[in-house]
Amino acid sequence: MISLVLSVLEDVTVNEQDVVTPFEQNLLVGLVFVIMFGLGAGLTPRDFRLAIRRPWGLIIGFVTQFGIMPLLAYLLVIVFLFQLPREYAGPVALGALLMGCVPAGTTSNIFTYFSKGNLALSVIMTTNSTLWAILMTPLLLFFYGSQLFPADSELQIPITNIVITLAILLIPVVLGMFIRSKSANIGAVMELMGGFFGLFFIVFLMATWVPRNWALLTGTPWQTYVVAIGLGLFGILIAYLISRAIRLHPMNARTIALETGIQNGPLAIAIVLLTFSGNPDIGLILIVPALYSLFIVIVSTFVTFVFRRANLAAEQKIPSLL
Amino acid sequence: MTQRPWIAHYPDGVDAVLAEPPFANLPALLAAASTEYADTIAFTQCMPNGMNGSLTYSKVDELSSDFAAYLREVVGLSQGDRVAVQMPNCLAYPVVAFGILKAGCVLVNTNPLYTASEMVHQFSDSGAKALVIIDMFADRLPDVLAKTSIETVVTVHIAEFFPPIIAGVIRAVQKVWSRSLPKITVDHTAFQSALAAGREKRNDEAAAGYLAGIGADSLAALQYTGGTTGVSKGAMLSHGNLVSNTLQMISMSGTFIRPGKEIVLTALPLYHIFAFTVNLLGFYHSGARNILIPTPRPPSNLKRAFENYKVTWLTGVNTLFNALMIERWFVDSPPRHLRASAAGGMALHESVAQRWREVTGTPIVEGYGLTESSPVLTFNPLGGTAKDGTVGIPVPSTDVRCVDDAGKPVAVGEPGELVAKGPQIMLGYWQRPDETKATIDDGWLRTGDIAEMDADGYFTLVDRKKDMILVSGFNVYPNEVEEQIGAVSGVLEVGVIGVPDDKSGESVRAFVVSTGPGSVTQDQILAHCREHLSAYKVPRSVTFVDELPKSPIGKILRRELRSIQIAATAGVPTAPSTRKDA
Repeated sequence: MISLVLSVLEDVTVNEQDVVTPFEQNLLVGLVFVIMFGLGAGLTPRDFRLAIRRPWGLIIGFVTQFGIMPLLAYLLVIVFLFQLPREYAGPVALGALLMGCVPAGTTSNIFTYFSKGNLALSVIMTTNSTLWAILMTPLLLFFYGSQLFPADSELQIPITNIVITLAILLIPVVLGMFIRSKSANIGAVMELMGGFFGLFFIVFLMATWVPRNWALLTGTPWQTYVVAIGLGLFGILIAYLISRAIRLHPMNARTIALETGIQNGPLAIAIVLLTFSGNPDIGLILIVPALYSLFIVIVSTFVTFVFRRANLAAEQKIPSLL
Repeated sequence: MTQRPWIAHYPDGVDAVLAEPPFANLPALLAAASTEYADTIAFTQCMPNGMNGSLTYSKVDELSSDFAAYLREVVGLSQGDRVAVQMPNCLAYPVVAFGILKAGCVLVNTNPLYTASEMVHQFSDSGAKALVIIDMFADRLPDVLAKTSIETVVTVHIAEFFPPIIAGVIRAVQKVWSRSLPKITVDHTAFQSALAAGREKRNDEAAAGYLAGIGADSLAALQYTGGTTGVSKGAMLSHGNLVSNTLQMISMSGTFIRPGKEIVLTALPLYHIFAFTVNLLGFYHSGARNILIPTPRPPSNLKRAFENYKVTWLTGVNTLFNALMIERWFVDSPPRHLRASAAGGMALHESVAQRWREVTGTPIVEGYGLTESSPVLTFNPLGGTAKDGTVGIPVPSTDVRCVDDAGKPVAVGEPGELVAKGPQIMLGYWQRPDETKATIDDGWLRTGDIAEMDADGYFTLVDRKKDMILVSGFNVYPNEVEEQIGAVSGVLEVGVIGVPDDKSGESVRAFVVSTGPGSVTQDQILAHCREHLSAYKVPRSVTFVDELPKSPIGKILRRELRSIQIAATAGVPTAPSTRKDA
């Protein structure tokens, strides 16, 4: 089994150029900037006040986002990935861990809306986790990273670089907020664009990246798929069960579940591209974030259908897009 | 005791008699404001995501003159011709409405959500020759036009007068995402082309001629209303009616409306008489900036408007105030610049008013009126004593009294039908002399509302005459029961009606929308009612529903509740669906 995997991996020479072309890299980073800008353009100082005054949403979001997801990623890595040879499993595990430690994605808001969740809560949770990420993502990466990769191992997580990357990615958020306060019109356009680009990112992945990396995808062992798909699916499931167990309103439980399971895939990919540029293992590090980003759309769509069937009472009125 | 005890309660500076209006007609009233506040922003339209466009007073003035020229010179309409207008709140609305008035034509406000048959009724009844309609709803026209006298159709876009890029984005979203722009198959002119054509033909001399002979008694608008009989008919509102009512309303607001300084949030539709007179005419006259909200539901659509503009005034109905106070963003950051709010359209529940004051720290006062009275008849004086639960005192130059079935005034504190006389009372119903005769008696408008007057001249609405429930010979007023049920925690909205009952003739039935599943039970509601109401007023049963039928401004429609009730007893399933019959 192990030898089979190794032979497959030898056939598929994974390097940066193959996995992501420089053009794609620039485009992706640009897109992430637009997405983060859009996130900021939807924020006002009031939203922060609201988050502080109503901390329950913040606390629950914080616990599920930075409690469940990194732990889940860690467990999945231990149980599944580490069955595989270390030279393959190491870099892939790093990507998986990163995927577990990044904040929630803006696409969660769209799925929350379609599954009749609490849209306002979803937006607040996404915002909170994004802002907390600058502290929590490096901290969690450091904590779980030191468990997975002992100090003497070859692969190390460049925590400083990740902090810098996150800080850089927060610039467009602040910029978005500033521009929004100056012109509501430009702010609204940017917010809309951010949402569209979030979806465009996935479409882009499917249309260009998947066919070109077909060999890599078919050669990827099933364990990696379990990790990439399981992270989102189990994340949603666990968060939902916990929310129900502590007797939250089903509408809020659905929201928290999706919010927890849906991570900011584009952000994770951008972090990898910006911090591991030149690293020969970058292709392997990217696998889980890329697969996760692809499958989370399918998983979330599936979950949304289940949620809609499970609860027909229309609690969330349709907000118009405009 | 005088016949008009309220006169003693007018705040300082409010005269009991309205001075002769210095404006011969509505265009004169508008022109005064357009000149005085020329460079000030008059209207800003705010979309739910914050996209916006604005028009200054001088721009509104100029564009509406263009539109007036278009109607008269290009379309060829004459003085007194009816023009129907069918659109939600948007920047095009004031341009169109003012243009029609400047052209000496008659404005026929039409609910944009009307079905084809309702449109046919209103257009053919009014004899409208032209229609200005929002493009989103123009797909109903092929069925409608053939059955009416409409010859000219002008279509407006929701983002008219927005910055071009923003308008383009909105249009793209409407087209691609929400697919809300149907193909228009009938002959029509786009609004901007109409304005351009009008601009070319415009000349000031002719424009003065459009208004020759238009005075206080000339017809300005046909405002359709179900009235007491249910058949939709046009209340004929004259220039004098609307000018007077605008000034009466402003006068009662005292110093709370500061000329040139207010920012009023207009979430109620302008095609409804409340927002038309109070927000459009009243606040325009006062040099205010109107923030127009195209779709106020869900209430989160107002979030951006409250964030982006220093709203100082809000007009609304009970439903709107109530809905805002369950929005976390609103309660946690109530508008800091708000000065006052005015409620009308339906009874403002005391619990809602009280909570509103607590949350916003600003006064909210209730007024009362009807389409037939342009609409304001009474108002709580903002600068004087406002009495909660009352609809206040008559506005200047207005006589109001409660009368018995024979038309004789009843004693103070006794319930009777409210009748009113004043310069704002309509000319009559359009082409319905019999209905007019039945409604206006010697200048007194019979409102069909039961009210009481206290010794100070404040009026308290008891209920609609026709909504009164007769339980074993006792009168039960749904408002009173609704007020009690509305105060039970876990109740979001409530509607109360009478249903036939073998034993008592009629019995009370409540329809309740709860704030969430399991938040309140029938037993809790009934226990509260038993504690606060006489036994015969306590509902026989409570039905939990997902939604209550509402009018465009959010008034709960008891008429519809009754038909749902009848259908339900007959075993016909209808909306709103019953969630559980606890």
